[in-house]
Amino acid sequence: MPSSDALVESLLAGRTLLADTPDHLLQVLDVLESYGDVLDAYSINLIYQAEKQFLNPFPVFRFLDGDHSPAKIWRHLLHDRINFEYAEYCQKAMLWHGTGGLDAYLDSEAFAANCARIVARKTRRDLLLGVLNPLFPQFLGELIRSAATTHALGQFWRVMSDLFLDLARAGRDGRVDSIAAVVTFIRDGLVAAAGAPITYAVEIGDERFWVLPPEAGLTFLADVAVPYVEAVFLRGTPFLGTVSFNAQAQQISPDQARFAYGALYADPLPTMGSGIPPSLLMQDMYRHLPERLRRWYEGGLRGAGDMRVKICMSFQKAMFCVTNAAIAGTFPHPLDSSDPRERAANRAYAAAWAARLCVARTDCLDAPD
Amino acid sequence: MLSALLLIPFAGALGLLCWPGELATERIRRAALALLVLQLLWSLRVLLAFDPADAGLQLQESFAWVESLGLDYRLGVDGLAMPLVLINAALTLVSGICTRDLSQRPRLYFALLLVISGAVNGAFMARNLLLFFLFYELELIPLWLLISIWGGANRSYAATKFLIFTAVSGVLILGAFLGLALFTGQVDFSITPVTTSQLGMGTQLVLLGALLIGFAIKIPLVPFHTWLPDAHTEASTPVSVLLAGVLLKLGTYGLLRFCLGLFPEAWALLSPALAVWAAVSVLYGSLAAIAQRDMKRMVAYSSVGHMGYILLAAAAASPVSMLGAVFQMVSHGLISALLFLLVGVVYRKTRTRDLEVLRGLLNPERGLPFTGTLMILGVMASAGMPGMAGFISEFLVFRGSMAAFPLATVLCMVGSGLTAVYFLLLVNRAFFGRLAVTPSSGDALADSRLEVRLPPVALRETLPATALASAVVGLGLLPWGLGRLSEQATSAMARLPALVAALQGGGPLS
Repeated sequence: MPSSDALVESLLAGRTLLADTPDHLLQVLDVLESYGDVLDAYSINLIYQAEKQFLNPFPVFRFLDGDHSPAKIWRHLLHDRINFEYAEYCQKAMLWHGTGGLDAYLDSEAFAANCARIVARKTRRDLLLGVLNPLFPQFLGELIRSAATTHALGQFWRVMSDLFLDLARAGRDGRVDSIAAVVTFIRDGLVAAAGAPITYAVEIGDERFWVLPPEAGLTFLADVAVPYVEAVFLRGTPFLGTVSFNAQAQQISPDQARFAYGALYADPLPTMGSGIPPSLLMQDMYRHLPERLRRWYEGGLRGAGDMRVKICMSFQKAMFCVTNAAIAGTFPHPLDSSDPRERAANRAYAAAWAARLCVARTDCLDAPD
Repeated sequence: MLSALLLIPFAGALGLLCWPGELATERIRRAALALLVLQLLWSLRVLLAFDPADAGLQLQESFAWVESLGLDYRLGVDGLAMPLVLINAALTLVSGICTRDLSQRPRLYFALLLVISGAVNGAFMARNLLLFFLFYELELIPLWLLISIWGGANRSYAATKFLIFTAVSGVLILGAFLGLALFTGQVDFSITPVTTSQLGMGTQLVLLGALLIGFAIKIPLVPFHTWLPDAHTEASTPVSVLLAGVLLKLGTYGLLRFCLGLFPEAWALLSPALAVWAAVSVLYGSLAAIAQRDMKRMVAYSSVGHMGYILLAAAAASPVSMLGAVFQMVSHGLISALLFLLVGVVYRKTRTRDLEVLRGLLNPERGLPFTGTLMILGVMASAGMPGMAGFISEFLVFRGSMAAFPLATVLCMVGSGLTAVYFLLLVNRAFFGRLAVTPSSGDALADSRLEVRLPPVALRETLPATALASAVVGLGLLPWGLGRLSEQATSAMARLPALVAALQGGGPLS
């Protein structure tokens, strides 16, 4: 496992965190392709939930994407479906950790004013909400806040899904043939989408209301992508894992910023919970696995028996590539700068990341498969 | 008909040893399995011919063998022997099936397995004391060889210890049989209850004492138990299955058939002390099991504890407790064989049985989830969970003994509770938590990064254990079959002390 100093040197030298081997390349490309397929479904559903199930106190059919046919309901009941719950858990992690520009806007006066307008319009013709709102004045505001995060995450995953599926195509075409090329491809994709606006509006009756208006100036990279990485990759939630944490015994840090239960820290052994490890996501990716990766997994000691564990291990390798790309794309100064102050700033930035990554599952970076 | 149960294994063993030319291990194994299947089928045929309503000996065969010595070839089965003959056939077959990857002398290995099975059949069916002794001793050397050739690293020590203990057991039993013939003047060596008019109570107590210690070594009961954990630890899995499932039952069978059967009056006199001995054995075995960190030694000590129930039941000698004793013999045979099989699977996959090392084996993807599931079922059965064989036998033993020896029974019930303690410790340590097969480093982060690569358990590896687990549940849910088979015989045995006392006093026979 690399030390913190080794990670800093790798980042500053522009080397990839993940060892560049053919097996790693195969795993990263194919697992990101399946992840892209799954994110596509998550994204569609999150945006559907935020727009069409807005302020619905009993969103029983929220996972059906508006298709209420008996066949769809039957498949849903038989669990022949995507685990949309995982997307919700990620959204809740973002809402709970609340970092970045999106959260700052959700705490602003402007957002509160938007909420007040929406609630006033919504409670006018909805008896239940009309009763609930005076009893619990903050309740609907919290629901709108949650819906805003849901929509923003849906938009983020829309971009990432397309990026990963493009990457898979580039891998098949031979345009991406190394881990370094994977990191570069993702970095370029993130940089290209960095300034894309994040907005969200709902229709109530025949009126349109902004929840996240364009004038809020929320953008893809700084306001959603970075908070997402912070909440889901790094911090995560200390629940639903193989290890039980006792908060009263101070096993969980009182400082949320020091949480380390995210995907990069996850133990790949499954418990079928969403936290540590993200088993629901593994289950979804298992159903969308490219044939080449499936055959590669089946050649292992346990064949198809521990495929979800292997998916999680490959997924962590891939997420280190994404993190690698995100760090490479957000250095404060160019890495080849000769200005000592800029170099020091870059080193400090790399050191801050390395301090957090060195206790993550870095054992997967150069472990033989 | 019964002779075939001797002919099949003995002739099979001879055939395997004498077959000309080189034979591949797998062919030898298949031949041995075919013979063991044949033996099981023949045992079932005997069962079909057996009349459960008849308490006496059935399907008898006899001819004079060495008349001058009183050694007659006399075979027969009753409700006590019949279930044990069946379980011998079944568990030897299980033992043969789970024998894989023999590194050396497969021909000898399977021949010894067949000889042991035949000798055990002979001991259960023998109706002559010398013939019983002959078969009782016959299984000794093959088992010694099985441990000392195919055992673990410390096999020589364990095998020699086993040999010395059981040789002493044999000497005591032979001495008691010869003493009986000498003092009563009857040299036909038949299994006939002795009355005080034939033999003084003092002499009876001495002879019974020798028999008791002889069989207590074999069972084993505290303090004659120390050979068993060593033998189990060093024996291979199939041999442990045979040892726990079948061979220990020779001791308990001897206790009922010869100690109680030959000396009912002396037995009745000693029974309060025997009940105390049973309670001590149960508690000691259970407490020692709690202290173990080797899974196999824990299961071995659980056997020491659970065999104590049979002594308690025999001491009480009520119809219910005697039926409970038979149930306990059968259910312990099935459950301990199941547990040893599963420990064997764990050891084969992880190369350790250390409870300080193994963790999280129930992990669904990289652990041994089905093995763990069967293990949980097995330990629940052993702890007497309702719906499984252990509950029926323990309930009958406690129910039948409570009136006669309330304190000893309550102490044995505490032992039953302790079974849950040590087996939950086993399951909790080895099967729950984060998967690991190496010692904990003390660093949670490092432990959570352990990558464990255990080979998968093939379906054929779990089939014998699955069959035994099904039998454990089957016997727990449908106990009437075994009850019907043995009830007449055990009730007759329970009446024996009163019968002899009545004969002695000239009172009415009931």
